[in-house]
Amino acid sequence: MPIDSATIKAVTAALYERSLKAIPADTRAVLARAGERETDPTARRTFRLMLDSADTAAREGQLVCSDIGLPTYSVKVGTRVRFNGPVRQAIQDGFAELAATMNPPILKMVTHPLTHERSHAGKDVPIVSFDLIDDVDYVDIVCAPKAMGTGRWEAMEAFVYPTVEDVERYVLDVVLRAGSQPCLPIVVGVGIGGTFDHAARLAKEAVLRPHGEPQPDALLAGMEQRLLDAINQMGFGAMGTGGDCSAMAVNVAYSASHGFVPVAVCFNCWINRRTAARIHGDGRVETLYG
Amino acid sequence: MSRLHELTLPVVPSQIRELRVGDMVSLTGAVTVSIGIATHQRMAEAVRGGIPLPVDLRGGAFLHLSTYVREVGDVREPLYLNPTTSTRYSAWMPDIVRGLGPRFVGGKGGLDEASATALRACGCVYLSFLGGGSPLLSRALRAVRSSHWNEYISQFRLLTLDVQALGPATVAIDVHGGNAYDSLRARAQARMPGILEGLRGARGAG
Repeated sequence: MPIDSATIKAVTAALYERSLKAIPADTRAVLARAGERETDPTARRTFRLMLDSADTAAREGQLVCSDIGLPTYSVKVGTRVRFNGPVRQAIQDGFAELAATMNPPILKMVTHPLTHERSHAGKDVPIVSFDLIDDVDYVDIVCAPKAMGTGRWEAMEAFVYPTVEDVERYVLDVVLRAGSQPCLPIVVGVGIGGTFDHAARLAKEAVLRPHGEPQPDALLAGMEQRLLDAINQMGFGAMGTGGDCSAMAVNVAYSASHGFVPVAVCFNCWINRRTAARIHGDGRVETLYG
Repeated sequence: MSRLHELTLPVVPSQIRELRVGDMVSLTGAVTVSIGIATHQRMAEAVRGGIPLPVDLRGGAFLHLSTYVREVGDVREPLYLNPTTSTRYSAWMPDIVRGLGPRFVGGKGGLDEASATALRACGCVYLSFLGGGSPLLSRALRAVRSSHWNEYISQFRLLTLDVQALGPATVAIDVHGGNAYDSLRARAQARMPGILEGLRGARGAG
């Protein structure tokens, strides 16, 4: 049975709305634990406010953050799936309908990069990336709206035969540069290797990884733990006014590279907007996370 | 230990001097908000040109809070608000602070050194609001007192709101030289050699 455009439209719009009105359950648990361990009184109070804000938004159908960001979707299509209508257009239509009808209404955040004119729509928006999954009959869709609070601090650099130390030092430099500016504690995604475009994509996929999902690569697992400990020693704390927890997680991914090794570092803020669903070939829709 | 200061606007300088970095503040009264860069440019140009603004910020608050106002006919209803990153307005904040006399500015992430200097010189503090705190902060909304420069989109207008106990917000730059952002950055930079040494040791142990 083919997947129809109406399902794509409804699912992607629902993913976006859900990402705005709640925080992921795993993220809430991490924040709650961080708040319990926090020794700075201001940061401890900030963690309580964060949980209250997130819970109130979920309970009352409010926006956690008024900056609804730029809508982005990652779509992974099983090669056994058939569609009976447009996919990219369905995602655009879903976003357009949501922007016109959502309660509460949303601010215009889609911005022309040169004229700075704002709208609910714009060229190539929503930003959608596509990939394939061999031999399955489902489509996985991740929605991760992206705003300036963290987006402006993300960075990438090409190294030549870097050591692990070079890469770790670079990640810390990027976090230090951001300092108190993003809404801390952040999740840090690191993409190492591949090509310029691929490293950025690796970093983005890494930042979206659910908390607690095991890192099977021992080299990367060591980097993740060391970097998380190091960032939390910096002391920026919740909302950047000082404290023990500046990052909730550091997630690292790599691809084979060349002598040159691009390293990309991206962030999600404490509300960690990400939702995901799987549309099966028989039309069933399954929530993956968020 | 930090304290919660429940303040009604406008305030006098002695009330501002009582505030220290880390203290909590809630604001009641009229606060003016905008997140428009063009709005800030226009405010700073008005100050430099001696042109009066349509709102009086003296003793009050000018905040980087993004606000949605629903308009039905002539009725304006504020639905929600939330802070945005203040540093992108740093170029215009010294003129705004020196020329318009607010006692509070705020948003999230702080301001640059020139702005912090202007804050100290003028007896104005910077408040850090909770990013992602829209459901809590929006409880304070009561009414739109005035809306100017309405040719801009909602969040870019020069909007004055009646609020009841807006906050809590954290004092992050005070008038006594306290600046949470500067001190945290300096502390983090000072810690970096030790952090990097610890990483080397952990890699060796791993």
